[in-house]
Amino acid sequence: MSRCGRTAQLEAVAMGETSPAVSMELRAHVKQCALCRHELNWLETESAMFRQRAGRDEVAELWKGVEKRRGLSVEPRSWPRVLVAMAAAAVLLVMVGRAAPQQTSMATDSFSVEETLESSMLASPAFLFFEPSEPCSKLPSGVGFQCSPVVPASFLASR
Amino acid sequence: MLRLLQRTPVITPETPDEALVRRAQQGESAAFKALFERHVVSVRRFLRDLLRQSDLADDATQETFARAHAQLVKLADHDRFKPWVLGIARNVAFEARRVRQHDVLEDEDDGTPSAVIPSPDPERVLLDAELEKHFTEAMGTLSANRRAALLMRLDHGLGYEDIAAAFGWSIPTVKNEIHRARLKLRAHLLPHLTGENS
Repeated sequence: MSRCGRTAQLEAVAMGETSPAVSMELRAHVKQCALCRHELNWLETESAMFRQRAGRDEVAELWKGVEKRRGLSVEPRSWPRVLVAMAAAAVLLVMVGRAAPQQTSMATDSFSVEETLESSMLASPAFLFFEPSEPCSKLPSGVGFQCSPVVPASFLASR
Repeated sequence: MLRLLQRTPVITPETPDEALVRRAQQGESAAFKALFERHVVSVRRFLRDLLRQSDLADDATQETFARAHAQLVKLADHDRFKPWVLGIARNVAFEARRVRQHDVLEDEDDGTPSAVIPSPDPERVLLDAELEKHFTEAMGTLSANRRAALLMRLDHGLGYEDIAAAFGWSIPTVKNEIHRARLKLRAHLLPHLTGENS
């Protein structure tokens, strides 16, 4: 469109398809050439309009239609292997810990308390290194025992 | 077990289209979905511009990607997914048009304005609702083929060779069509860009 014969180059500049050196060279020419300046103004105006329009699109939910038409199913992203291994190790250690004789077994009343605590603390590796220190004592009435929750010192320190 | 231990390369935004196409061709649905997510915005906008109806564009977008998935094995140039899928989108849009029998595919008039058109200031272009309305109207005055060629070049950044391949046209024809489309677009937009009508 520019009668100067540089339309293709100007278009490449407007579309950002040229190297900075070529772009600078052409822009220097554009300052001197009214025809090219006119053409570049239009090309950049068009580019600006298309660019501004491009930011407004919404395409939510379209994938479902493609899946349905093609019977596709994308497997859910698998867990990272390291996390899986860590979780498996934690479960294994807990099971081993349960199988071992429990030092607090004399306090049958305390079982449910410990169970609750155990389940809430499984996420913490600190649980595996608890230090039992006189978990149970006689009730003030002298009948039965009351047991304080077994909370590892390291766990408390981390709080 | 060995199959489970086999490492599948993670798909990241940096994974090139070429690699995704290869993996999708081997049946990896996640790779095709990544291609979809990467190009669906462009394809949908292209189809909306051709069909000028959002609901039709949504349906045509799904049809385009469904066809792309079905024909993906045929794509030999693995790094040319975008022009290829836009070519499919164009066919889907034109089929929809034939069904609706609305627009003409070719321009009847070639009497594009040849007078010198004043130039706008690109730095002052703000595509507000009013200007976008005129822009859409201006695009609507172009024939479907010419509009598709202009959109592929200006909106989606395809080269003339890619457009020629998608249309089955020669490169000079593509250039000529885009040139005429531009002139018509400019003539239509000029009053709204330079405030000549105010």
